[in-house]
Amino acid sequence: MMTDATAPTRKEDHRLLTGRGRFVSDLQLPRMRHVTFVRSPMAHAEIVSVDVAGTVAAGAEVFTSESPGFEVALRALSALPGYVETDQPPLARDKVRFAGEAVAAVVHDDRYLAEDAAEQVIVDYQPLDVTIGAWHQNATAVTNGAWHQTVTPVHDAAPDNVLLQRTFEAGDVDAACDAAAVVVRRELVTNRHGGNPIEGRAGVALFDDGKLTFWSGTQIPHLVRNLIADLVGLAESSIRVIAPDVGGGFGVKAVLYPEDLALCLMAKAMPGTPVKWVEDRSEHLLSACASRDHRYELEAAFDADGRLTAVRGDMWCNVGAYSVMPWTAGIEPLMAGGLLTGPYKLDNYRCTVRGVATNTAPAGPYRGVARPATVYAMECLLDSGAAALGMDPLDLRRINLIGLDDVPYRMPTRLVDDTGHYDECLDEAERRLDLAAVREEQARRRREGGRPIGIGVAIYNELTGLGRAASAGPRMPFRTGHEACTVRVNPDGKVVVLSGVTSQGQGLETTLAQVVADAVGVGYEDVEVRYGDTDQVLWGFGAFSSRQAVIAGGAARLAADELRGNIVALAAELYEANAHDLDLIDGEIRVAGSPDPIGNLADVARASWLESNRLPAGFEPGLDVTRFYDPVMGAFAAGVQLAAIELDPATGGIEILEWVCVEDAGRIINPQIVHGQVVGSLAQGVGGALYEHLVYDELGNLSTGTLLDYLMPTAAEIPDFDVGHVEQPADNPLGVRGVGEGGTLGPAAVIASAIHDALGVELDELPASPDRVWSLMRRAEVGGSP
Amino acid sequence: MKPAPFELVRPATVDDAVAVLADPAADAKPLAGGQSLVPLLAMRLATPATLVDLNTIGSLTGIDDTADERVRFGAMTRQSTLVRSRRHGLVAHASAWIGHTAIRSRGTIGGSVAHADPSAELPSVAVACDGVIGVAGPDGSRTIAAVDLFESMLETTLRSDEIITEVTLRRPQRWGFAEFARRDGDFALVLAVIAEVADGWRVVLGGVGPTPWRCRDAERLLDDSATDMSGLDEAILDAVADTVETFDDVHASAEYRRAMAAEFTARALADMADREPGDA
Repeated sequence: MMTDATAPTRKEDHRLLTGRGRFVSDLQLPRMRHVTFVRSPMAHAEIVSVDVAGTVAAGAEVFTSESPGFEVALRALSALPGYVETDQPPLARDKVRFAGEAVAAVVHDDRYLAEDAAEQVIVDYQPLDVTIGAWHQNATAVTNGAWHQTVTPVHDAAPDNVLLQRTFEAGDVDAACDAAAVVVRRELVTNRHGGNPIEGRAGVALFDDGKLTFWSGTQIPHLVRNLIADLVGLAESSIRVIAPDVGGGFGVKAVLYPEDLALCLMAKAMPGTPVKWVEDRSEHLLSACASRDHRYELEAAFDADGRLTAVRGDMWCNVGAYSVMPWTAGIEPLMAGGLLTGPYKLDNYRCTVRGVATNTAPAGPYRGVARPATVYAMECLLDSGAAALGMDPLDLRRINLIGLDDVPYRMPTRLVDDTGHYDECLDEAERRLDLAAVREEQARRRREGGRPIGIGVAIYNELTGLGRAASAGPRMPFRTGHEACTVRVNPDGKVVVLSGVTSQGQGLETTLAQVVADAVGVGYEDVEVRYGDTDQVLWGFGAFSSRQAVIAGGAARLAADELRGNIVALAAELYEANAHDLDLIDGEIRVAGSPDPIGNLADVARASWLESNRLPAGFEPGLDVTRFYDPVMGAFAAGVQLAAIELDPATGGIEILEWVCVEDAGRIINPQIVHGQVVGSLAQGVGGALYEHLVYDELGNLSTGTLLDYLMPTAAEIPDFDVGHVEQPADNPLGVRGVGEGGTLGPAAVIASAIHDALGVELDELPASPDRVWSLMRRAEVGGSP
Repeated sequence: MKPAPFELVRPATVDDAVAVLADPAADAKPLAGGQSLVPLLAMRLATPATLVDLNTIGSLTGIDDTADERVRFGAMTRQSTLVRSRRHGLVAHASAWIGHTAIRSRGTIGGSVAHADPSAELPSVAVACDGVIGVAGPDGSRTIAAVDLFESMLETTLRSDEIITEVTLRRPQRWGFAEFARRDGDFALVLAVIAEVADGWRVVLGGVGPTPWRCRDAERLLDDSATDMSGLDEAILDAVADTVETFDDVHASAEYRRAMAAEFTARALADMADREPGDA
């Protein structure tokens, strides 16, 4: 990696690292009141009555589904056949569908008083049958297509609880399986877990003088403005959404939540009174989006040489009680089926995915969306295939990887992989791990005793910077391929960038400033990046799908290039020089071959904004360019993770000895920020693979409702990662590929693969907790070790 | 996650504290380091009308040796002080396993014992070292043997108007400690304490049941072994595995806990074998 000295100091560091960040929680407004939500203790129940008399007596305002304005509902739209649209009310109406769903909102002068008053809300529930799992215990019946729901459906519109079903199909799968040398089968269950950003969800809403202002820790301010307009009965033009500093998002905040809508509706009902809600950790674990609660039944066919000839199977994704806005209940199942086969060449593929509603918190986007689970599944299939064929697992992968000769490669789900650098990443990972030395130590321990070592691998393609042709989300009434960027030279010669994306800690103030400073020809310190305010920024979809560097970076580059052209053209007239001979370097206008600058950007800017008397014919005042960028397709990023783990046979505990990650980030804008993205996503991946698990009991109560039982990894649990890069420029203005999510995709696969390598046993369920690994080892001993 | 309203009382003496606790109208609970009580308040799982802050009572701190070779810890001795003080090797070692620095800086020995979490380190250490818990109430002071204090999960035989004033522990001649937790600083999934005290051996396991559990069969094996412990390990582990009564939860099955009870007893024995006599 490049040394930190080559990267500029991050612009946001001083503010964020010294406690000077300005988060929604920091916002204090005159007359502000505070909101707490009364949440359902029942997973599935009819609401017989809500008695708020005691709460009103305690001096609180109370809102329920009966309150004026609250008759609306969030409804995630998609034109995809097989998708059932359902409603999510801002406050539960008629019945509750998961434990933690908001039933009433209580407003008081501070949060303490609000919580006191909330205890006086008396809700009478009539319990209904509860559905927790998205699949039957008797899996065979489901595989045969006989999905029969025997309990009360979560939504009447979907009597079988299936909100979405789709079959991906290419080639002749059954013929390929019949002709195969081996067909391996795996049944896999992955663990529900979530993003848990350090700052929970938060919002302040104020309706004043006909305008609604909503400060929200959202990743998607423009989308929020668009989506809530009709729901709160206002023109989109009368709404301003501001995302100030946000403490982590990971996709969890790329969702419009019922609490957001409720807050805006409350503000509208209380003109002039700002209302504030800051989620606490209990609420987050209970009611923010979780993900990766899946079951897969998969088969893979290989010819005698190890070539993958077919993959077929079924997937069930627990989408929880509601179809998440705006991404729909399809977000995980469609990603799971669409990218299962990842970087491996394949002609014959059939996979039926289902998004199944249950009485659990809604599932939504979380860093990696489904692929941490599907990469685990795919790599399990390859390890089983290698074992069945007696091949080295890495050799088998090399045979099947998309190579440089194959790109652009059309995957069986019609996505087009534009990178072929998997082999290169794998070579680099093997070199960094010193694979031969680890194998030698593994063999020595097998001979002489000692804790077993396993080597695990994961190879994946991260789909980043999705353009209109590969737009995030399933046929929603908008396409998320583009971003706007305005680059402006102020009258003092300083540059302002107004970007449509948002930052939750990714360092975009720094990277976009680098891009614009380089392209315009000004100093990095003279560029200021602003985002997150819909009144300030023209247009943007926000932060998700590893899109900021590719799309916002691309838009910034296009705008900056054009602005530089405008500056140079004006300077040529002002200084009576030939534009072709002029250069703009560090804010100074220079003529080729001449030692002294002939002018500077501040002078050009002053002429442009203030001194129209100096403006030549044909020049309008102002130095300001807005450009949109849409990459149309996207940029796949190749990634390989390779790790050596040591197993404690007595406890089933796993110690990570070494963990290497090599990714193709394309051209790297800022090495330190890329490193941080990769390490952070690896840590979240390790958390999901080894520790994090949201568990519900049979009544639908969350058993892991605090951080005592929901095990977030801490610094002590996370190893030093060895991060390497392959820099193959992508086909976009900056040559970049997204790096936000890749790290999360590998760890579950790596751990399962390493356990398989060490012991020859198959880990079919996540997380790889000590008791699970211990049981696996015990069963293997009883059945005879390999 | 905001506590229900409560009055905060900051007494200067134990008698003042007990007077408030004894007043039924006050509906009071004592506040020591607050590392367990404050989260319970925040989640409104505990809603006392009054909190009696023990942090202002000077007489509740201090560590001294008693005439009968024991060490007396004032109830408000911070866990960070237990780690730093070398007065009792096992207490210092086990306390380092409690939570993280910030938690140990507030948490107290008396608070941990009173909270009676079977997965916490100090309750098991107190049982292993024949702990005697000094208690003050409206009728004066009394003592409770640690083994009689822990009644069930988070329940003790303390009356609601009593506070712990001190914890007095024997110094073991030899001891071993081993703990298994999912993450650094977590409560134990299983912990094992082995100690040779004045009149015999103590084998205590935490995290396996509702209270710190003494494996009497294992203790007998050790007591009967005179000085020669060789070849005994296997029998001790069998005794633990055969007699422990344990449970399932989200982190582990009962079967796994049983196996870990034996495994960490073995590791505590190994830990003891590795220690210099001076560690006592």
